[in-house]
Amino acid sequence: MHELLLFASVPAHQHHELLQQLAGLTAMQPRHRLERRLVFKAYRKPGLVTTRVGASQDLQGADFQRLNKMLNGGMYYTQVVGPVTKTDFGTAASSRMPASSDADVSMSGSGESSYCYENQPWKLEFRDIPEAGTRSAVTTRLMASASLPKGDIAIPMNAWGYSFVAEYMVEGDVFVHNDIVIFLHRVLLYPSAGSQESHGPRRQLPPYHELAPLERTGSYVLQAAITVQDGGNQELMKTASQHLFGLREQLKSAVRLEQADRLSLDTRAK
Amino acid sequence: MSESFTLPLRPLIEKRERPDTLPLEIAQINAQWGSFRDVTEESLRAKIEEEKNKDPWAEDEEAEKPTVEIDSTERVDQLYKRRAEITQFAMQAHMEALFALDFVSLLLSKHTPRQAELSMSAYLKQVAPLGSLNAEIVNPPPKSEAALQDIKTVSRGWRLQNFNAAANKLLKSATRLEAEVASETKYWNEVLAVKDKGWKVCRLPRDRQALGVQYGFLEATPIFRDRGLAALRRAEDGSLLLDKGLIPQRARTVRVRVRTQKQYTGCSKVSWSLPSEDSIERRILQARDTVYEEELFHEMVREARILGSQGVTTRQNLVQVPVSEDQEILLDLVDVDQGEPAETETHTNEHDTLADAVAHSIRILLAYAHRQNLRRRTQPPPPLSQKRRTIPEYQLLRPVMAYLQHTAHVRSLETFLNEMAEVLKSAGLRCEITAAPFASVRLPQAPSSAPKVEALVRPFLMPFESTFTGNLITPESSFCVKVRTSTVAPPAGTFYDLTVNLPHYPEVKPPSRIGLQNEAAAALTHLILLDIVSSIARTGAKPPMDEAGKGLSWEVAYAHHGELRALSRSGNNKKMKVSLSREELRVETWPLHGVGVPRREEDQSAQLRSQSWRSGSSEPSRPSLMEFVHEVSHDRP
Repeated sequence: MHELLLFASVPAHQHHELLQQLAGLTAMQPRHRLERRLVFKAYRKPGLVTTRVGASQDLQGADFQRLNKMLNGGMYYTQVVGPVTKTDFGTAASSRMPASSDADVSMSGSGESSYCYENQPWKLEFRDIPEAGTRSAVTTRLMASASLPKGDIAIPMNAWGYSFVAEYMVEGDVFVHNDIVIFLHRVLLYPSAGSQESHGPRRQLPPYHELAPLERTGSYVLQAAITVQDGGNQELMKTASQHLFGLREQLKSAVRLEQADRLSLDTRAK
Repeated sequence: MSESFTLPLRPLIEKRERPDTLPLEIAQINAQWGSFRDVTEESLRAKIEEEKNKDPWAEDEEAEKPTVEIDSTERVDQLYKRRAEITQFAMQAHMEALFALDFVSLLLSKHTPRQAELSMSAYLKQVAPLGSLNAEIVNPPPKSEAALQDIKTVSRGWRLQNFNAAANKLLKSATRLEAEVASETKYWNEVLAVKDKGWKVCRLPRDRQALGVQYGFLEATPIFRDRGLAALRRAEDGSLLLDKGLIPQRARTVRVRVRTQKQYTGCSKVSWSLPSEDSIERRILQARDTVYEEELFHEMVREARILGSQGVTTRQNLVQVPVSEDQEILLDLVDVDQGEPAETETHTNEHDTLADAVAHSIRILLAYAHRQNLRRRTQPPPPLSQKRRTIPEYQLLRPVMAYLQHTAHVRSLETFLNEMAEVLKSAGLRCEITAAPFASVRLPQAPSSAPKVEALVRPFLMPFESTFTGNLITPESSFCVKVRTSTVAPPAGTFYDLTVNLPHYPEVKPPSRIGLQNEAAAALTHLILLDIVSSIARTGAKPPMDEAGKGLSWEVAYAHHGELRALSRSGNNKKMKVSLSREELRVETWPLHGVGVPRREEDQSAQLRSQSWRSGSSEPSRPSLMEFVHEVSHDRP
């Protein structure tokens, strides 16, 4: 599958207004979305045979082969995405530590029990570096998604040859406009806990208000995306980009949607 | 600014002392009419009468009359002549204008030859050299005092006239503006009233200058969605006009009629409870209802096309849905004002409620389909591929059909089972039947994620299932009938699932899927017959002791034919035949001579004993089945 994208930067003060404009354009209420995103880096285990050789290879589609090569090539970062809700976040238990012990226990108990790491669903999202040398004014890249088992994802991912790198949170609203998925979002970072970093995904979520936006000004990113089943079909790719241009034209007075810098979306592990 | 400042626009005319004009007038009369000597009152009156009678237009009419009578060819001639005249006049005017132009150009060519040359005709250029005409100011001869006075008066009069004309124009435009402001105010007030009522008012996408009101349904099929927007135009007097473009203004609605045995027995209401006065609100509501109704009908026809295999037929403006053998439902789109059925049709109001219920349900189902559309639209779309996403037909007729068919089947089965129970009761047998109609329809109890309205509709889109369970006469034996109706999933129609528990006939398994009602009834009758036979055999196993101390014991000969026999040591062999239908239970016994071979006919009829039980006929003297069996079990011929 291929993904065609356009991006725009939305300053924080415009966010509310744009939400309303998008709601009017798409005739739907925004769907709020909170996602945990874990970044994994593929590595080649010594002595691991990555590709099967033989007759079975002929049966696989060329696209699949390419994808397989990329996933196992040891040179790409992949993301594991897990949706969460606002109730999954911890309450301000840590800040209430000095309060009376009874209240503290009940508070922290209720705060932590709401999020169950063992039941967290996950999805693997692979994104290639955007295609180079396309004359079209949209960002085009190869993509693939797959659902993963629930619960602790670090173990299966390790077994498949991925190591955990970092994690962050994405907060935003989704709109659907015909074939286009519009995602107005921003990246939130966890408060730095120090020791826990880089060992694995968190089992508890900190209170929501402790998350800090990556972009200090609190600005948002508007992402308009169309996925195309068959990236080799020029006709479809053209239609998809026409749709995106149509949206760009419609939103012209509000935001400027444009192509992203190719290298800023580089997912290769150096 | 509270006091309005009035500015006089008309010039003030000084009222001068009018000089006495009587001598002048007398002189005028003398000049026109002659001296006063002959004037009498009579002659003056006669003159006035004459003036009065004379029609001012009489002369014109007389002149015109002959033109009316001339025939068409002459008219055409005349027309051409007049046209020629007109063109001639125009040509002449043109020529004169050209002459004037040439003259002015020649005059100007003295001073500005380059510019004047441009507007000169070629002929003039040839004939007269440039600058050959000059103009000079000539001192006019001094005018007389009287002439100067005249000119003064005339110019004064002109000026006054111009002032008057300007004032008139200003005042006229003021009144026009006032009217315009009033109508504009009215228009905007009405627009605001519409907006305050909660309608969405927006600019029209095509016509950016005009306002529109959105009353349609966003989730409807595109053609109907786009029709849900109408322009709010301003009439001359400022009232609001709802401009729906080319769409006819008539209000239309879907009418539901029920036809039983070729006669109309029910019709749904077609009039709405709209605000009675003809307000803009009413027109918007009517437009909204019409667009909804037309979409409803459109979708029903679309759905009816795929239901051809289930007996649904479509005409140009009619959908016929069969419900049962002798009943069908007709749906058509009619104008609201002529929606009442014609009087010529034989019409009773027996099924009006049914028709209304159907009318309401299809509308609820369309609203549900709209909600489903919204749900589908707001989900992340699948990847773009060459296959176009088609919108499946809405479920409008199918749930209604399924419900009605299911009800019909369940009712008839219930009647059948009740009749059966009556028959058995009259024979002194107990048979308990419990019915659970629409067991599959479970209304949502706990609040689910879906909105309540959707959760309410959803069970009605699933296949319907009703169950009937009953205990038979022999203990431990029971039956269970499941009636399933589905018009959505492929095995369309109604099916009966029979499960039985007959400990005496473990090998009897009813067919798992019965499609016809008669077959299901026959299978049930057969099962009950088997049960009766086995219960007779069971009571017969403990032979009743009569006075002689002897009794016969019945044993089953051919269970599936309801035949039993009793063998006796004394040779009084007997045969019993049980027959069961929904009307009666009949038991016959006759003696047997030799196993299975009846004797001659007349003997048989002489010794035949029979008893039948019917439902409803309650003869207290009649023995029950078991008493009858007991009676015929005596070991005597």
